[in-house]
Amino acid sequence: MDSWYPRMAKPWDSWGMLACLCTVLWHLPAVPALNRTGDLGPGPSIQKTYDLTRYLEHQLRSLAGTYLNYLGPPFNEPDFNPPRLGAETLPRATVDLEVWRSLNDKLRLTQNYEAYSHLLCYLRGLNRQAATAELRRSLAHFCTSLQGLLGSIAGVMAALGYPLPQPLPGTEPTWTPGPAHSDFLQKMDDFWLLKELQTWLWRSAKDFNRLKKKMQPPAAAVTLHLGAHGF
Amino acid sequence: MLYRSLTDCIAQTMDIYLCLKRPSWMVASKRMRTASNFQWLLSIFILLYLMNQVNSQKKEGPHDLKCVTNNLQVWDCSWKAPSGTSRGTNYEVCIENRSHSCYRLEKTNIKIPALSHGDYEIIINSLHDFGSSTSKFTLNEKNVSLIPDTPEILNLSADFSTSTLYLKWNDRGSVFPHHSNVIWEIKVLRKGSMELVKLVTHNTTLNGKDTLHHWSWASDMPLECAIHFVEIRCRIDSLHFSGRKEWSDWSPVKNISWTPDSQTKVFPQDKVILVGSDITFCCVSQEKVLSALIGHTNCPLIHLDGESVAIKIHNISVSASSGTNVVFTTEDNIFGTVVFAGYPPDTPQQLDCETHDLKEIICSWNPGRSTGLVGPRATIYTLYESFSGKYVRYKRDEAPTNESYQLFFQMLPNQQIYNFTLNAHNPLGQSESTILVNITEKVYPHTPTSFKVKDINSTAVTLSWHLPGNFAKINLLCQIEIKKSKSVQEQRNVTIKGVENSSYLVALDKLNPYTLYTLRIRCSTEAFWKWSKWSNKKQHLTTEAIPSKGPDTWREWSSDGKNLIIYWKPLPINEANGKILSYNVSCSSDEETQSLSEIPDPQHKAEIRLDKNDYIISVVAKNSVGSSPPSKIASMEIPNDDLEIEQVVGMGKGILLTWHYDPNMTCDYVIKWCNSSRLEPCLMDWRKVPSNSTETVIESDQFRPGVRYNFFLYGCRNQGYQLLRTIIGYVEELAPIVAPNFTVEDTSADSILVKWEDIPVEELRGFLRGYLFYFGKGERDTSKMRVLVSGHSDIKVKNITDMSQKTLRIADLQGKTSYHLVLRAYTDGGMGPEKSMYVVTKENSVGLIIAILIPVAVAVIVGVVTSILCYRKREWIKETFYPDIPNPENCKALQFQKSVCEGSNALKTLEMNPCTPNNVEVLETRSAFPKIEDTEIISPVAERPEDRSDAEPENHVVVSYCPPIIEEEIPNPAADEAGGAAQVIYIDVQSMYQPQAKPEEEQENNPVGGAGYKPQMHLPINSTVEDIAAEEDLDKTVGYRPQANVNTWNLVSPDSPRSIDSNSEIVSFGSPCSINSRQFLIPPKDEDSPKSNGGGWSFTNFFQNKSND
Repeated sequence: MDSWYPRMAKPWDSWGMLACLCTVLWHLPAVPALNRTGDLGPGPSIQKTYDLTRYLEHQLRSLAGTYLNYLGPPFNEPDFNPPRLGAETLPRATVDLEVWRSLNDKLRLTQNYEAYSHLLCYLRGLNRQAATAELRRSLAHFCTSLQGLLGSIAGVMAALGYPLPQPLPGTEPTWTPGPAHSDFLQKMDDFWLLKELQTWLWRSAKDFNRLKKKMQPPAAAVTLHLGAHGF
Repeated sequence: MLYRSLTDCIAQTMDIYLCLKRPSWMVASKRMRTASNFQWLLSIFILLYLMNQVNSQKKEGPHDLKCVTNNLQVWDCSWKAPSGTSRGTNYEVCIENRSHSCYRLEKTNIKIPALSHGDYEIIINSLHDFGSSTSKFTLNEKNVSLIPDTPEILNLSADFSTSTLYLKWNDRGSVFPHHSNVIWEIKVLRKGSMELVKLVTHNTTLNGKDTLHHWSWASDMPLECAIHFVEIRCRIDSLHFSGRKEWSDWSPVKNISWTPDSQTKVFPQDKVILVGSDITFCCVSQEKVLSALIGHTNCPLIHLDGESVAIKIHNISVSASSGTNVVFTTEDNIFGTVVFAGYPPDTPQQLDCETHDLKEIICSWNPGRSTGLVGPRATIYTLYESFSGKYVRYKRDEAPTNESYQLFFQMLPNQQIYNFTLNAHNPLGQSESTILVNITEKVYPHTPTSFKVKDINSTAVTLSWHLPGNFAKINLLCQIEIKKSKSVQEQRNVTIKGVENSSYLVALDKLNPYTLYTLRIRCSTEAFWKWSKWSNKKQHLTTEAIPSKGPDTWREWSSDGKNLIIYWKPLPINEANGKILSYNVSCSSDEETQSLSEIPDPQHKAEIRLDKNDYIISVVAKNSVGSSPPSKIASMEIPNDDLEIEQVVGMGKGILLTWHYDPNMTCDYVIKWCNSSRLEPCLMDWRKVPSNSTETVIESDQFRPGVRYNFFLYGCRNQGYQLLRTIIGYVEELAPIVAPNFTVEDTSADSILVKWEDIPVEELRGFLRGYLFYFGKGERDTSKMRVLVSGHSDIKVKNITDMSQKTLRIADLQGKTSYHLVLRAYTDGGMGPEKSMYVVTKENSVGLIIAILIPVAVAVIVGVVTSILCYRKREWIKETFYPDIPNPENCKALQFQKSVCEGSNALKTLEMNPCTPNNVEVLETRSAFPKIEDTEIISPVAERPEDRSDAEPENHVVVSYCPPIIEEEIPNPAADEAGGAAQVIYIDVQSMYQPQAKPEEEQENNPVGGAGYKPQMHLPINSTVEDIAAEEDLDKTVGYRPQANVNTWNLVSPDSPRSIDSNSEIVSFGSPCSINSRQFLIPPKDEDSPKSNGGGWSFTNFFQNKSND
């Protein structure tokens, strides 16, 4: 089917050229390789997730600046690097490179999903505690974006046919402000929450980039296939 | 008591001594005579020693009796046993002055019931193996010490959150029989080294019972930071006890310490403190603390037990919204706490409560100074209503803003008066404000909504609106703003009963029909508190009504007198009551009726052919609702013969017309007016004035200054109009814009007849008040003065105020002379432009003949008379002038040397040669260049008379002296410069150039330029031919130019035409001599210039020029 239209084209006949072009355009949706746009697999959604991750990285920089200033010194000092004291419940993004390499896509995506689920929950708690309206707005906006990222990851997982991790009942992270947690430890947690978020976003970007590259070869093959037919 | 026992003891000792001494003294007295003194003294000493030893062994008893009490009921007395007593010693203690009770005991102390006041003798007899000894003591309460029992701390506890120690102990008051004051001394010690932190005294009273006492102390340092110890002791200050009151021993130490868990902690945690206070933070740590920071500030460490450290912050400043962080850093960790420094809540300011709807009360206030605390530490406001006991609470988590705070309190049924207390409280304190309100007086209604307008009729509408709220029990006061046009605005207040369903309806009347109103409404309550905001504006056009009046009507007969033109004015909007669609006009007489109907609106004029009968014309205006009442006017004109045309001048914009009251005039006066230049029938406008008035001011935007209007005053009687007055007038007069056109009708040798024409009314621009006629000698195209200055001797002016005069004869003129005639008209608005003309009178031949004949006749007569006289007096003349001279030749007496007389000329008598007089007066001759005046060269006398007689008969004084000087200077320029000191003195220069009698003046007529009045004194100077010539000459001299205005210089030359400078009538010479002399003294460099030759610049030259001219 895709081999007859070069014969129809008559370069010396402009009307023929036009007719040929119209015909090509008309039949373009019918080309099987191009017709895969609706069923391109997880590629575009991975790209979107990657883009969203980068966007969130950017957004977090602005939010962290505001929030760390709100926490006051020494949290807003650039070289402040406290030990991770109370923030034990936060999912850690840092992982040994070898370990990371040994993870498969499903595991990586699952870890991402779980991490952001937890982080989102903590972030919402942060929002409830913030004292200024402006900070609350910024946090709410970021939460919405993070919710979007979570949805994107879920989308990618669904596209790849991985099941979403089900939270075990009773392990839902909860925000428990109270006397058990002093204000200082709370601030440390907030600091670490932002820091972990940053690391996770960085890691996710890496994950999705890797996944994206992994998913690319079939699309390249299609282009190659079309090129062989005279495009 | 003890003293007593001691003296007893001494007395006993003395007794023994005396017993021993007596025999020895007797022995000594026996041996005195036989033994030496030394032996005697030694033996006495030994004896005394032995006696003492014996006595001490026999008499020593219990001593040092000491009594104390701890409860004032029992005295515990103890004494010291005599030396050498062994265990088995018994004591018998007897207390005298009492019921002589004795106690036998083996101890050296005894507890006796407290003795009442007074001295008591205590006898203690110690019974031992080798005998007994007795001691006596006197015992008094004053010698007893009150030493309370050592107190014991029952409990020492701590509240670590508040860093407070709580101490509990028992005063054991039950053992004391009386009420007594107890002074407690409490000591707080800190750290392992037990540093004293606090020492306080605490007073209580004993009340006969065992009482528990509490004492608390807030530590400046958190109790977790270090171990704290507490001790206590007491002293009883009993009024019933006169003995010594001494402190008890310190109680056993109790301590409080915090048992640290494995984690390092910083204290206090999350504390809220007042700004400006001091606070101590500590870090209880097992590791070495390196540094401590509060905010950005590094703090010096205070070392506590172990590795724990503390920092002390003085005068802490207000915290940021997330608190101030305090951070301790160890080798590989950081620990911290957050402190919140803020203020207690300020008293709520401007607390005010009002309601919008009588359903909910809104109390608002200003929080005052910010507390600096947010979130869980923010101020909580509680609005408490004391009558109902209800309250609402308000908490704001956000950082405070400047806006006021609000709380909503649901109104209670049947309660009008509310007593609100607003309590503000935060961790640092609380404050409150109260307000008592009658809520029905504090109604600030919502903005009325759904504002609608509906027609009732052309002058009334209903207004409806929605005002949410339950106002059933009160009346509302609403204000309706009625705006008719942009400027006219009215406000009406209406009181309406409040309703529950929030819908209100009110009728608004007294409106004008067919008028566009802009309405809006706002409401308050009768007990006014605040107006609500204005509702939205609503525009409403009221419906039409029939026109309230007929149009203002006038009529005019057409110029041919056959048609009657009916005019009417459009009805003003307030009378039209709608859009006027058409007019109906009808003319009815007794015989017939003619009518024109449905004349569409923009047309306000109708013409009907009528005969000269009397008609009543009626005009009716119609709108969509109906017709106006007809306005009627009679066509009849009542003739009036004695009419004069009057003149009137208005004032600015209008014209005032007055007339006398005429009782015959029964209906209105009518004044109509039109532009007088328009053709009849001319009607610009008219005005009706009530019959009782006698004046009116006619004003119209159409009036223009300088335009003549005709005004006609009509009186009305018997339904007919009579023209009463005809008036022409101007609202403002202006000067004529054209000059009268005039011609010379006749010219004779001594008179001119001038005739002129009227100026058209349009160009006159005012009422003509007269003409000004100027005439004087003058020629066309000469540079003589052009200004007609009245009063100038040469110019004659005639003011012609008789308007009917159209000609003027000017007599007494010179023959064959050019005259300049000028005519201009004037009004009250000013002078018109001028028109000029030059006329030459005819030659007077008779005069010429007479002028020749008379001198000839006179000369002849003089000659004849002289001849006669000479003839008659010839003898006398001869005698006088030519007496006979005797001939010497005939004289014999003198007949010597005849030959000499005859042959030599030297011997001649005086030869009478004619002598030429010299008219040159050289006031100073120059020694350097003596010059012999050649009088013949200059001979001014020979030249001047002609000139003088010709042109300047009156200027004859010294002119003749100047030219020679100038003549002298010019030919010797080099000598002049070399000499330097040449001085030329002009005699009386000013008098020489005195302003001359008015010369002939040249006047240029400028009919175009002189539209308005021109000041006669200000005319431009016109250069004459001579001026131009002189200027040209001057231009040719290239060298130095005088800085003075050459024109000025020229002007002063005697023959130059007299110019009137705009600044000065008489031209002033600043320094005429120097200017003129310099001008002349410097020779022109251009040798080729014809004028530069000697004499070219002399005055004579000017005269020559003049003569040439």
